[in-house]
Amino acid sequence: MLFLLDFSTFLISGFLITVEVTLLGVGIGLILGILAALGDIYGGRIIRTIVNLYVEFFRGSPLIVQLFLFYFTIPMLTGLSMDVMMTAILTLSLNSGAYQKGYLKGAMEAVFKDQLMAAISLGLPMWKIFLYVVVPQALRIVIPAWSNELASMGKSTTALIVIGVREFLNTGISITSQTFRPLETFAFITIIYFIWIYSMLKALDMLYDKIKIPGLEPVI
Amino acid sequence: MNKILECRNLTKIYGKVVAVNNVSIGIGKGETKVIFGPSGSGKSTLLRCLGLLEKPSSGSIYFNGLDVYATRQDLNKLRARIGFVFQDPSLFRHLTALGNIMLGLKHVIGLSESEAWRKAYEALRLVKMEDWANYYPAQLSGGQQQRVGIARAIAMDPEVVLFDEPTAALDVELKWEVIAVMKDLADRGTTMLVATHELRFAKEVADEMIFMDQGQIIEIGSPEHFFTSPNTERAKKFMAKILG
Repeated sequence: MLFLLDFSTFLISGFLITVEVTLLGVGIGLILGILAALGDIYGGRIIRTIVNLYVEFFRGSPLIVQLFLFYFTIPMLTGLSMDVMMTAILTLSLNSGAYQKGYLKGAMEAVFKDQLMAAISLGLPMWKIFLYVVVPQALRIVIPAWSNELASMGKSTTALIVIGVREFLNTGISITSQTFRPLETFAFITIIYFIWIYSMLKALDMLYDKIKIPGLEPVI
Repeated sequence: MNKILECRNLTKIYGKVVAVNNVSIGIGKGETKVIFGPSGSGKSTLLRCLGLLEKPSSGSIYFNGLDVYATRQDLNKLRARIGFVFQDPSLFRHLTALGNIMLGLKHVIGLSESEAWRKAYEALRLVKMEDWANYYPAQLSGGQQQRVGIARAIAMDPEVVLFDEPTAALDVELKWEVIAVMKDLADRGTTMLVATHELRFAKEVADEMIFMDQGQIIEIGSPEHFFTSPNTERAKKFMAKILG
């Protein structure tokens, strides 16, 4: 496997891109997921319809198709073009937000109505109730489901190869085409993916242990 | 006497059900009044309307003489001055006993962390829960949770505290610790409007008792009046049933 050392800068930059799009995708997806869940629970009919169309579209179509849509179709229709990294991050975020909305909605609804009433009776305005009562509880309840999302997003980034993002798998393919040594290259790539995703899951487990509160266990 | 909180001709309708029907009551500074009556008589709905948690279908609510809805008051500001204790303690599950009380002090009244801490701790001492300050709701018994709920309401220094059957969800042994706290508050001159079936509590502390049935006020009088000779048949029957 020593020949891979010659490609170390190349491999590292590919790996960093994979990490970057994963974290940005899940992070922006979390914000989108929170907004969509709030919209679905507390919004009017129009907001609810928009949220549901968004969620159903991104959950009901393949990620690769979504990538093509944002990379080819939308720029052709609108005349606006985005660079490939922007397209990748936008698509992954929207995709992840659609899934996270589902987890978050369940978690927010678990913050029972009686607590909302109690918060209202103290004179807290709605936005403070979300910030200090609903969100801190919902995030704790959602963490186990959320670690699935992180693992799944880490793996989904390999789809970015179809629009030519230089992520980790893509660097492996380039190396193989130069060296004709797929066995070692892909073995290495596989091990790194595994170690990376495994350690993210462990880290989230540790985070959960650190912030968990008695009586506020996940319902999922 | 000037009333702190008052409703006139208050009616609340849900769909076709008239939960509260043309009720007028008021409570003055330092008074303790008890509302009682069968389940579904509209006590909770009346209290929720008075606590500005539900909007009446018709009629007016006055806070310190000001018509709340007609003069378009900022409801959150007024809610902060009206304490509310729920049947289910409704504590915030991610916060300790102390944290539950500090939330409103910090984010509604705007006290600093240390001021809020001091005030919250003082409120916990008042309900004899200071040893449990750092426990989460799930680690407390129902009675202890309810005492924290009371502390959360009184820490805000409300002008009146509304209690919506605060002991109804508790076991008999746990009821008394909550009732003892409420008696103590009444003795300290807290203005209280309490919906409850605990007539012994009413007998000891109420300045006035209000009997409700089917959304209407049937009879108003002193505890002595109700315990000796209520005017209406319905009140007589209900008293007999409760007192066994």
